[in-house]
Amino acid sequence: MNGQKKSVALSSGTKPLSLGVWGEESPCGDAETAVGGNVVEDLGDHLGELYSILSFNSTGELLATGDKGGRVVVFQREQESKNQPQRRGEYNVYSTFQSHEPEFDYLKSLEIEEKINKIRWLPQQNAAYFLLSTNDKTVKLWKISERDKRPEGYNLKDEDGRIRDPATITSLRVPVLRPMDLMVEATPRRVFSNGHTYHINSISVNSDCETYMSTDDLRINLWHLEITNRSFNIVDIKPANMEELTEVITAAEFHPHQCNTFVYSSSKGSIRLCDMRASALCDNHSKFFEEPEDPSNRSFFSEIISSISDVKFSHSGRYLMTRDYLTVKVWDLNMESKPLETYQVHDYLRSKLCSLYENDCIFDKFECVWNGSDSVIMTGSYNNFFRMFDRNTKRDVTLEASRENSKPRAVLKPRKVCVGGKRRKDEISVDSLDFSKKILHTTWHPSENIIAVAATNNLYIFQDKVN
Amino acid sequence: MEYKVEAHRIMSISLGKIYNSRVQRGGIKLHKNLLVSLVLRSARQVYLSDYYAGVCLNAQHIEAKEWELMDADREKLIPASERHVGAEDGRASRLQEKDGDSLDPSDVAVTSPVSPAISETQCGSSDCETDADAAVTEGDSRQPPKDHACSHRKRSAEETGVSETPVKRTKVTPNAIVANNEIEEGEEMDTSNVSNLITIFGSGFSGLLSKDSAKSESETDDSDSGSGQICCEQMLKNLNPWTTAIVAF
Repeated sequence: MNGQKKSVALSSGTKPLSLGVWGEESPCGDAETAVGGNVVEDLGDHLGELYSILSFNSTGELLATGDKGGRVVVFQREQESKNQPQRRGEYNVYSTFQSHEPEFDYLKSLEIEEKINKIRWLPQQNAAYFLLSTNDKTVKLWKISERDKRPEGYNLKDEDGRIRDPATITSLRVPVLRPMDLMVEATPRRVFSNGHTYHINSISVNSDCETYMSTDDLRINLWHLEITNRSFNIVDIKPANMEELTEVITAAEFHPHQCNTFVYSSSKGSIRLCDMRASALCDNHSKFFEEPEDPSNRSFFSEIISSISDVKFSHSGRYLMTRDYLTVKVWDLNMESKPLETYQVHDYLRSKLCSLYENDCIFDKFECVWNGSDSVIMTGSYNNFFRMFDRNTKRDVTLEASRENSKPRAVLKPRKVCVGGKRRKDEISVDSLDFSKKILHTTWHPSENIIAVAATNNLYIFQDKVN
Repeated sequence: MEYKVEAHRIMSISLGKIYNSRVQRGGIKLHKNLLVSLVLRSARQVYLSDYYAGVCLNAQHIEAKEWELMDADREKLIPASERHVGAEDGRASRLQEKDGDSLDPSDVAVTSPVSPAISETQCGSSDCETDADAAVTEGDSRQPPKDHACSHRKRSAEETGVSETPVKRTKVTPNAIVANNEIEEGEEMDTSNVSNLITIFGSGFSGLLSKDSAKSESETDDSDSGSGQICCEQMLKNLNPWTTAIVAF
């Protein structure tokens, strides 16, 4: 491992925040080899499927991506070699498999999309890797394992697999394992189906490594990883009369260390923390986090923009981060009345909510992510912009993920949106923003300054520049 | 006035979204439709409040008297077990004095002005099914025997809404309870088709669920024209399959 790399967050002193784009010296076009900082894989060739989720595993060695077509692609970080010290470990395709297929619910005459909504890795316990992937209705446990040996020297069949005539066998031999080209196989080990009436929006693996929960609009179910024909319902907010429905669950996550604690967010902008020790059905929360609404910001769309699209515990387990349409908030678990910090992601959109409602952009669900030390948070925006906020220095930066701006070894230039008045040279005005280019999914390596950003059908991996 | 235009536009867009969600792949998305229905309700409140702004200018005083009268009527008719609702009505009537035009779409129930009751007394219809629109709720209250049965059903659904958000009401709120009767409304209308459709969305999804084909057919005749109308007409014609979808969902 390169001992020079920084383990702390981005900024230090007066140095501007920057992320290095690491890459090969020669342009590689659309090659699939991962080039840190350049386009890793262009899904544009694959029927325009869009990335729908990104997830690093617990060591950061693997990065899983899911797309709208139900496919999962897993990238693996290359082992660093002394021969090429400048290549700090690029990500290459490790395994590709079709996780979910489109299905049809005959009872309701509804098609079930194969789009992967969430992927979560299990902590590694042996040589194989396990991940959970889910679409709207079904969660699947996949095992990804390597095979680099194969048995040779069978008695009853020859090397091609043809059965030998027993009469021709004159001696016995013991089959031996011989090395072969590395093959990575993905096999579905469990299928957890028929647990949800509504659309699954989250899955979260418990720190006990035995259970996980799946969340739909109105219910949260607890599953055991070994048992597929039974699950426990732990939260149910469905009203007796559907006419009285006022809020839905939008995301849920287990506490990173306390196996009895989880949180779930709602479309009304509130977060509930529940303790499974309190009762079997956790309809009554232990803590309720909500910030009173600012009456001066009231509009037709106040409810929509307060709906929480993502909730993430900090690695320490002490803080909670939520993302609604215009802001990211950091909450202290010990303070329910208001967030600890609020960061404006793109407040210039507040005056454009009506147009964004018309073109459906106001319903976009942005994710948010912590860095390994919980000092920097990151989330996406429009025009292929993504934003990082340093919680300690209170500095923030806007960066852009695009082919044109990402030459190999180039440093990403901070971008700025001009909200009014005179537009400076490098600024972009609000009206020029491309709302079809949205970065909904971003993820951060668990311990290093490596981020993965999905921009439509391109995946970008950026690394911190090492001087 | 611009508010009305804006509200109208937002209502049309919202209805279009709900309509389109039926044909979307993957089924109806509950979260998105809930949000759209909230926007629809907010826009409707603004639209209706603006519509009746002129009518209710002088009606505040008369409202209070009528409301007390209505309360007295109700007290007689409501069985003892329901008395507590009357208490809520009383509380709500105190809020009549509250002014301010801040929107409050978080209300579960609709808060539409009571004043047009004056104009609605000429309605003359004795069946709450044939009451015209949202503001007719006062008219309903004049036929206590009829609406007694209707309002009870809806009242139970709306009670939680009323008890939880009494402070948030901006307009006359007795209709929080009575307003549910608008769902029972019928064909004859003197307002635009959009308004009528908005009343269908009275409270949550209940407006959709209680609507039946007979009413939808009768409401398609209207005088206004415009893209919003066309959208609403389409909406009305397709209300039945939509109802089925909601119930199944």
